[in-house]
Amino acid sequence: MTTADFDYVREYVRVQAAIVLEPGKEYLVESRLHTLARHEKFASPDELVAQLRAKPQSDLHRKVVDAMTTNETSFFRDIHPFEALKKGLLPEIIKRNAESRQLNFWCGAASTGQESYSVMMTLAEHFPELLSWNFKYIATELCQDAMARAKAGRYSQLEVNRGLPATLLVKYFARQGAEWEFREDLRKRVDFREMNLIKEWVWMPPLDIVFLRNVLIYFDIETKKTILGKVRKLLRPGGYLVLGGAETTLNLDDGFERVVFDKTACYRVKQSSGKANQ
Amino acid sequence: MIDLAHLIEQANDLAPLPASTVRLAELASNPECHLNDVVELIAFDQALTAKLLRAANSAAYAQAAPVANVQEAVSRMGTAHVLSLAVAAGARPLLQARVPAYGLDEGRLWRHSVAAAVAAETASRLCPVVVPPETFTAALLHDIGKLMMGRFLTAEILGYIRRAQEVDHLSQLEAETLLLNVHHGELGGLIAQHWKLPPRVVLGITHHHHPEQGLDVICDLTYLANQVAKHIEAGLDGQPCVLSFDPGVAERLGMTVQTLENFYPIAATRYAQVSRRYDVV
Repeated sequence: MTTADFDYVREYVRVQAAIVLEPGKEYLVESRLHTLARHEKFASPDELVAQLRAKPQSDLHRKVVDAMTTNETSFFRDIHPFEALKKGLLPEIIKRNAESRQLNFWCGAASTGQESYSVMMTLAEHFPELLSWNFKYIATELCQDAMARAKAGRYSQLEVNRGLPATLLVKYFARQGAEWEFREDLRKRVDFREMNLIKEWVWMPPLDIVFLRNVLIYFDIETKKTILGKVRKLLRPGGYLVLGGAETTLNLDDGFERVVFDKTACYRVKQSSGKANQ
Repeated sequence: MIDLAHLIEQANDLAPLPASTVRLAELASNPECHLNDVVELIAFDQALTAKLLRAANSAAYAQAAPVANVQEAVSRMGTAHVLSLAVAAGARPLLQARVPAYGLDEGRLWRHSVAAAVAAETASRLCPVVVPPETFTAALLHDIGKLMMGRFLTAEILGYIRRAQEVDHLSQLEAETLLLNVHHGELGGLIAQHWKLPPRVVLGITHHHHPEQGLDVICDLTYLANQVAKHIEAGLDGQPCVLSFDPGVAERLGMTVQTLENFYPIAATRYAQVSRRYDVV
């Protein structure tokens, strides 16, 4: 791949999705475009990029952004955040919202849905009463293909092998040929919406819990600050933001305070910041 | 890059383990398996019977009277060890192959697999945790995914993997995951599942590089077996071996730096004693 082609792709991806591809990442762009080129019947990634240049803003451009989005996910990824959810966050919020019987959850960059369905299984296993509350679960994702897969809730054996205990597999999934399909009643409780974190956000209610894990790592500092500021305004007082293990609000947004539940750091809007959604 | 669906399809088409080996692996996974079941199953396999009798009459047991049948061999060597040899004999034809994509000449993967299996046996004596009986099979087969993955790693893909390692300092496994959306552990788990090996064997194989994701002690033990096997091999090759060991695994297994340091030479000695029984050249 020529330097000019790499620069073209990385600039487009940066503008559209704020994904930062440093020089040296040519191998990643080339390998991802290699797959896309084959799929779209181009002879090579070079030919595909030539087509991108010839027809700006085509559907092919969207597919390139999708291809460069890392959709790595798994059921109960890193496990500890789900333990924190079960033992700390949910008991506390359920107690606080007992009167209103309302709970709003947002999962940003939901990828192919495993994280959202892990949350739904956690609820069904440990807090089934929540499902009779006014409970909203919104999951947003930039990549259209990933979101379509998330909505379908069907996973290969390889995907269910990633983090899903056998007991939960047999309880919440039905075998459909070579795939496993997540239980429909729980699947339908998740409201999947297409959303680009760096563009205009879809409407969301005041939030009690935000899962935004392993997303900020792909963005530059200014984009991280903007996103954290928006999240802070959406969180209810006492609501929690859960980030990936390598992510933090530190030095990015001092409106958050760090609260540790066992092995998971969560972030809550500081009372004094006065910016939380009332 | 790699067509994942095709890869999985091919993994399912990999030559299966002999049915008797799968059955033996099941028996090996059952701490309450009956001696007669083992004897009966092995007695039907002439090659295996001959192999066991050879092992039971080997130098290690030279002072005892010669044994003439499977029952006596099992009594002398112990059910667990006989099952280990039997499962290994079934897997050997597959694991003997060369896998150039991983730089493995003919026999190297087999040697590594046997070293890991011996380490798993050693763990059952030295680890303070209860070692599940499936551990031996998981350790023996932990790299089975490399066989299939190796067939798909073209020069072009290997080039990308090498650049990912150089530019981003990723491990082989991390590079495989980033570029192919699957790594050899996961692929090995799929193969083991397809062969209908016990679920804990599948878990150990799948998570042998990141045992914390498996949520089962067998994953930690298979990780340990893999690391110790590398150490044993480095010793055999006269290479220095400075191994990193995940402190989380050591903690879950109740092992200290000292017990780990003691573990390596004991496993290496054991390997030297028994490797010929596994036909390691």
